[in-house]
Amino acid sequence: MLLTPEVLTINILNLLFFIFASIAFYYSVKIVLKYDFNATTTLQYNLEKQSYLVAIIIKFIFYIKVLLFIFFIFTLDNISNILPGAMCGAGVVNATEYGNYLLILKIINLYIFAYWLVLNSEDMKSEKQKYLKLKFKVYIFAYFLLMLEIGLESMMFFSIDTKSVVDCCGSIFSTTDGTYMAQLLNIDPAILLSGFYAVFAFIIIAYILKNRYLFSLMNLLFAIVALVSLIAFFGTYIYELPTHHCPFCLLQKDYNYVGYFLYIFLFIGTFYGIVLGLISFNKEDENVKYKISLFFTTLYMFFVSYYPLSYYIKNGVWL
Amino acid sequence: MIKLQHVSKIYGKDIVALDDIDLSFNEGELVILKGVSGSGKSTILSLIAGLLKPTSGDVLVDNKHISKLPDHFCSQYRRDNIGFIFQKYNLIPTLSVKDNILLPLVPLNLDEDDLYAKLEAVTQMFSIEHKKEITVKNLSGGEQQRTAIARANVNNPKIILADEPTANLDEKLSKEFIQILKELKSLNKTIIVATHDPLFFDLDFVDRIVEIHNGKLDRKVACS
Repeated sequence: MLLTPEVLTINILNLLFFIFASIAFYYSVKIVLKYDFNATTTLQYNLEKQSYLVAIIIKFIFYIKVLLFIFFIFTLDNISNILPGAMCGAGVVNATEYGNYLLILKIINLYIFAYWLVLNSEDMKSEKQKYLKLKFKVYIFAYFLLMLEIGLESMMFFSIDTKSVVDCCGSIFSTTDGTYMAQLLNIDPAILLSGFYAVFAFIIIAYILKNRYLFSLMNLLFAIVALVSLIAFFGTYIYELPTHHCPFCLLQKDYNYVGYFLYIFLFIGTFYGIVLGLISFNKEDENVKYKISLFFTTLYMFFVSYYPLSYYIKNGVWL
Repeated sequence: MIKLQHVSKIYGKDIVALDDIDLSFNEGELVILKGVSGSGKSTILSLIAGLLKPTSGDVLVDNKHISKLPDHFCSQYRRDNIGFIFQKYNLIPTLSVKDNILLPLVPLNLDEDDLYAKLEAVTQMFSIEHKKEITVKNLSGGEQQRTAIARANVNNPKIILADEPTANLDEKLSKEFIQILKELKSLNKTIIVATHDPLFFDLDFVDRIVEIHNGKLDRKVACS
């Protein structure tokens, strides 16, 4: 079992999340089953008070969880220093059978928790709390994902053996071993780039048309295409090495921690874009969210595009 | 205009402040809530102001369910509709009369001209304009009371709630306060006064006296 200060911090926080999230879960079920906005009974007034307090508990858990994602990535990167064979977080993720599932679940949860936070904020702005039942239903669903995440995280840290040699990112993200990852990395760059820029163009079109559903859908697609193209194409220009496809090495000092910026831009941009299709905001809020989303996705697009362009300008050839 | 429907309020587990009360107040009415300490008068005022939620029942003001409003909307409702005069004035002793009166206007972000126009209007109305710059702790009881009334009216609320407003005043100042009430009524404000001061019970401009005993309405007396 691995127990660095960072892992200990994550485990203690997970214990607290487990306790408070479970209390919130109990009350959420009660609220979903018994809350009736028009009732003026003692039960209803108690539920109203409880819903306010429970929403605050959930809000704090999710705010911390969203921020902790960065800490989790940082922890993986740090652990890689003590794991034989690991050059970055990728080695740590692959050190156990739980790592990959955990990482995928964490990314999904990141969007779901952030969605809940926006839903809660909109609910609090409405006099009749129009999203109250929905937000507690979403929480009940998110609770199971949170518990799964806590379970997988604990099992992952518990199963890491610091004496076993793990694969480095070079072999995990290899283009030659016939795995799904290799197939993904071998996609023709022309197709990949066409997809990437086409989806971005559709985001702009959806913005001009102010079609929030199209905008939302395109942002969801952009999140996927952007991640794939970062690993398969843009990353190689950041490393200036055609065989290096690791999405974790970007987070290291050697590459000026550029990965943190890229992932944060991508998350904020696509999240605010996706959420526009899920929640009906007032015009002013909708406009703000359109602008935030577009600003960060554009920033991301320019940021990743800069690396191949600058490489080409400097060297006169593509990788 | 103001309706309490089957309202009960229980503090803690078993302290019954109000027990299934049905009560309504019309626009422009001046109503005295009469009863001994602990009878539930202040609780009624707090429920109308949205400071408390009932244990059961409904409080409506202009058909709006006040008891169902989330806390932050309650603050907004209070700011826009309610002027509350407290027994102990609840002024900030280290601030001047002017600053105390202007305090409820801070969230509105009014420009300076509007602020001072409102300040002038209420300080003149309640004869406190010559004390504007004085720190509240240096005022007499009557002046503090007038400052509290001016603060309650600076937003021009349509409902004035007064909780034992003369409890800390001598008879002369109490009569002054009653005169102010008469002026406020002439402005068509709905006024509800919770008191056990006998000075209020024989006033010709009072519309109704509602007597409360142990959280229940004892009787309603219409005054001519």
